[in-house]
Amino acid sequence: MPASSRDLRIDFFRGLALIFIFIDHIPENILSYFTIQAIGFFDAAEVFIFISGYTAALVYGQTLVSQGPLYATARILGRAWQLYVAHIFLFVIFVAEVSYTVTTFNNPMYNDEMRVGDFLEEPHIAIVKALLLEFQPTFLDILPLYILLLAIFPAVLLGLRWRPFIVLLPSLLLYLAVQATNVSVPAYPEGHVWYFNPLAWQFLFIAGAALGFNGGRRRRWSKPARAILPLAVVVVTVGFVIKLSWTIHGVWDPFPGFFLRELWPVNKNNLSPVRLIPFFAAVGVVAAVVPTDWGVLDSPAARPLVLCGQQSLEIFCLGILLSALGHFVLSEYDSAIGIQLLVNLAGILAMCLTARVLDWYKTMGRMPMPNSAVTRSGPSNRLGA
Amino acid sequence: MRWRIPVVPLARPALLAAGLAAAVFPPLSPAFGDALPCDVPEELMQVDDKLPHLAERLRAGQPVRIVAIGGASTTGLAAGSSDLAYPRRLQEILAQWYPSSSITVVNRGVPRQTAQQMLERFPTDVIPEDPVMVIWETGTTDAVRGVGVDDFAATVQTGIDELKAHGIDIMLIDMQFSHSTATVIDFERYLSALHRVGDVNDVNVFPRFEMMRYWSEQNMFNFDGVAKDERAGLAARVYECIAGKLADAIRVALR
Repeated sequence: MPASSRDLRIDFFRGLALIFIFIDHIPENILSYFTIQAIGFFDAAEVFIFISGYTAALVYGQTLVSQGPLYATARILGRAWQLYVAHIFLFVIFVAEVSYTVTTFNNPMYNDEMRVGDFLEEPHIAIVKALLLEFQPTFLDILPLYILLLAIFPAVLLGLRWRPFIVLLPSLLLYLAVQATNVSVPAYPEGHVWYFNPLAWQFLFIAGAALGFNGGRRRRWSKPARAILPLAVVVVTVGFVIKLSWTIHGVWDPFPGFFLRELWPVNKNNLSPVRLIPFFAAVGVVAAVVPTDWGVLDSPAARPLVLCGQQSLEIFCLGILLSALGHFVLSEYDSAIGIQLLVNLAGILAMCLTARVLDWYKTMGRMPMPNSAVTRSGPSNRLGA
Repeated sequence: MRWRIPVVPLARPALLAAGLAAAVFPPLSPAFGDALPCDVPEELMQVDDKLPHLAERLRAGQPVRIVAIGGASTTGLAAGSSDLAYPRRLQEILAQWYPSSSITVVNRGVPRQTAQQMLERFPTDVIPEDPVMVIWETGTTDAVRGVGVDDFAATVQTGIDELKAHGIDIMLIDMQFSHSTATVIDFERYLSALHRVGDVNDVNVFPRFEMMRYWSEQNMFNFDGVAKDERAGLAARVYECIAGKLADAIRVALR
């Protein structure tokens, strides 16, 4: 989609979320004190899923209107397939890492408890479970959610076009049912559940989609949105103060963690309302405060983030790999603060550069070839492709 | 507060400084086993919460029963015998220090159990022993299996509530540090959760993970390249150190 017609805020914040996911996935990373989860009840996962729903509705909504439901469905499922392949790719890398660790590791002090490679004893089951998205090792858990959400998205899109509430209402009811009953989706190995409970997280994705569907309708929402804006500001501020107090309390104990006893732990698997409500409030505040044509979004400084947001799948996968690599470097060699900052910087640079290269590659691919070139090199090109 | 784990990135320079300080000024009262290189920085030995029921029993010279529930490192079989596991060693140290009470530390370790599975053992393995104190070593299997970290925290909370309802003092022990698996197991979230549960409940969390990491970094113990015939001996020495530090912590909490 051409950059000029895009709401750059979407790309910018998705890019930022991807950088934060990278940072938060490196354990004991000092920079994680400066990501959203340090100051808000929600974290980059909410931003990522919400914006993904929003963008999906925006992009495939246009496809639906201009090219019909069949093609829109094919496009969406094609995207889900891409995500699936990416997930399997990440899984293979995870297996390689674990296999290597397990075979070179032999100390009876740990052998009995740290058996992270147990699944290697029944690879025929583990791999099938991974193919079925039921095996979700740590940090390989958000793509299965995204894949599942895209798989049902054609129906969501048709519903949204017909009557948004036909989709939103059941989605909300399902979310509330999860909160009331704690029902979860089983995973592998026995006793595990989907880390991101799709029955709960679908609501966030679909809410994003409802907002993103058919850009024109957004105006209808703007008036009631403005009316509750003060309330949203209050919610965001209260959430900010409380969560920041927890973060400070974690670093410096004498500082009190407000409502820590009452509110903690806040359930992420089921997307507790304590996470969801401040997130929606923050979306409202950001949408109201940051104008679509905010100059910063077009500036060279914001460009890398916008590009990361536009190449979200590749950059997400790269971020997951880089955080595993960063974790490896920090635990294997040195985790002094200087090295931590260096690892973060290198990772963010790699993500931004990759986004830049991908953008260049895709832009070149979209450029129409001069006629003469087509006639001359067309057939051989086709053979090569 | 408890010994802090969640702040590791910030705490580590302080740890190093403390390590240097410990090298220059030897600790005043090496509480146990002078020959063993078990020393840890002072902030890992910070104990805030009291053990009132245990204190009362010891003051009155009454018999004391402590249950240690946990995983493989509580069982202690890696050392070759449960006589070398930390619960037995702890019992011996405490018996020396408090000779007027008869002290028993019951070992209820079962390898590879999640916090939930241990909690389910409370009614059979813990409560019937009528302990005055429970030492609960947990979190490893939860981290290895990737149990939801919020669920893990909620489980430990339930366990603490249950023990408190029986008037039992509690000490939590966090995970073992292992350099080799550090890259494939993400302990940090579980450590933070465990320490936070201790924090909100005024229950001490014994920072075994940070201690073992410190020993590993100071090359006091080489956990990785250990030769086959030395492995059991290494485990025994580590359990001995853990027991010593644990006894120190209990003594501080009794003051």
